Amino acid sequence: MIRIERISFHIGAFRLQNTSLEIATGEYFVLLGPPGSGKSIFLECLCGLKKIDSGKIYIDERDVTFLEPRARNIGYVPQDYALFPHLTVERNIAFGLRVRKYAHKDIVTRVTETADLLGIRHLLSRKINGLSGGETQQVALARAMVLQPKILLLDEPVCALDEVTRQEVCAQLFRIQRHLGVTIIHVSHNLEEAFSVADRAAILHDGILQQVGTLEELLRKPDSEFVARFMRCDNIFYGEVTGPGPPEAGLTPSRASPRQQRQTRVRVGDIELCVPGEHRGKVKLMIRPEDVLIRSNYEGRSKGENEIYVKPVRWRNYGGYIKVELDGPFNLVAHLTDAVYADLKVKQGTDLVAILRSENIHVLPA
Amino acid sequence: MAMNSSVKSWRDRIFEAVLFFFACIFVIFVLILIAADVFYIDKKAVITVLTSRFIAHALWMSIWTSFATTFISLFFAVPTGFALSRLRFPGRILADTIVDLPIVFPPLVVGLTLLVFFSQTAIGRWIQEDLGLEFVFQPKGIVLCQFVAAASFAIRSAKTAFDDVGWRYENVALTLGCTRWGSFWRVSLPLARNGIIAGGILTWARAFGLFGPLMIFVGSFRGRTEVLSTTIFLEQSVGNLEVALAIALLLIFVALVALTFIRLVGGSALVKL
Repeated sequence: MIRIERISFHIGAFRLQNTSLEIATGEYFVLLGPPGSGKSIFLECLCGLKKIDSGKIYIDERDVTFLEPRARNIGYVPQDYALFPHLTVERNIAFGLRVRKYAHKDIVTRVTETADLLGIRHLLSRKINGLSGGETQQVALARAMVLQPKILLLDEPVCALDEVTRQEVCAQLFRIQRHLGVTIIHVSHNLEEAFSVADRAAILHDGILQQVGTLEELLRKPDSEFVARFMRCDNIFYGEVTGPGPPEAGLTPSRASPRQQRQTRVRVGDIELCVPGEHRGKVKLMIRPEDVLIRSNYEGRSKGENEIYVKPVRWRNYGGYIKVELDGPFNLVAHLTDAVYADLKVKQGTDLVAILRSENIHVLPA
Repeated sequence: MAMNSSVKSWRDRIFEAVLFFFACIFVIFVLILIAADVFYIDKKAVITVLTSRFIAHALWMSIWTSFATTFISLFFAVPTGFALSRLRFPGRILADTIVDLPIVFPPLVVGLTLLVFFSQTAIGRWIQEDLGLEFVFQPKGIVLCQFVAAASFAIRSAKTAFDDVGWRYENVALTLGCTRWGSFWRVSLPLARNGIIAGGILTWARAFGLFGPLMIFVGSFRGRTEVLSTTIFLEQSVGNLEVALAIALLLIFVALVALTFIRLVGGSALVKL
């Protein structure tokens, strides 16, 4: 287990501030954040390449805070892979073993095994110049893995790869991680990448850890507007509590706690929405674009609770979904499937109804 | 005459032609100057140069002192260049600037400064008289003079080469089990090799042709502290212009052979020059 206790580090104007984190043995952990948020610096602090100002780092309850990088048993793959261009692929992979003075026979065995695991045995005699992006990434990974570290730190390991190779490599990383049981901390700014590998994730912004949890928690229950927006939620509204709402639909006293049964009425612009839980004063609400349900505005059908009239103003097909920007009491974004989109016959100015189910609305902490 | 294999417009071709024109002008100009020397000298001068015991000695002195200077310069340049590239310490920028100073010194100033240091300062006299390391008007002084005048080229090149290598390789080496010392030997030094060799070539070239400071600091004593560059000066000062030019051609020939050999051995090192 990796236990990081309130570590701080500064370089120039940047500060990594009082960061604490626990990562279980054998966990695939993804550290997310925009460029410049301090993700790479965090990794470098972990593997000892940057001396922290304060705090403690424990690996399996051993204090490694002041240990040299070579004594931490951590494998590290930097963002640019940093393969040694003066050595062949085989010598690159064997580098750590040679430094640690392994017997020649052991070096050959380990290098071959690792190359086989990653499917790069055919590259062993090649020079570094001339390897493709994917091959370079695999060799860098092999070089870090050959020492059989307890922890692998991967700094944006697939950011330089094309979409298809990226997916393949992520699937392979996940498979290898499960096979070897190694703890991986994978730094990325890409959500798809995180979803394809992560057991848990954290979001870092301006050197401050914003939230740690499963991706589902980060997606549905963000702790802040920043996390919500980073997780690509465009629908964040400011409102004011007007009073208590009705009990949540489908919940009976025997199935839910008193708190769960309560809802709050919140005024957003000209309309009132029911949101789960008890709240007071001014609040920030969010609903994920894929949770916004859209139906046609049939003549004669009345508008229900948490339903608002909207008109589409812009829409674009993103491959797997269609992003529709809606104009109404407040601006709204919905992600629709091809089938729903075709069924609604979306045109500029079509009258639609957006349904914001209470259970899908999340109230962000003030 | 081609920059790369891309599709070219007539503008690109004109651009390349202009580049080629300037390169040709310079190369031809140098060749014409050498040719002028070749046509000026006569057979007698050539025979004098090839048979003179003193000129053979001067040639040998030029060769060994310039190579000794190059090796000593590189010995200092590698750690100094690495320190300036990697270490952060107060006064680093000043130190970096001081390293370049000998490059801009007028050559005579180097000789004069060394002479003043060894004859007029307590430390200089202590080195010469108490330690017994005599440099003034001694063959050892040739190496010292060349070192002061030329080592900056080696240090500057080494620093630039280490800057180009960057930190990331060393950082990875540290996580793979290297100490700082190990990452330097196994990663930084091999990767900076070409730049360091390039610096060595510049140092050697500067040392081999050095003249002014040697005349002041070690003089030009026949069979003792005479090197080819000072021989040329002595010959032309007594009116033996043909012999002086023949020696100059010998110096050019040796430099050509040495630079070609180093280019072949050093691979892409000269690309950095």
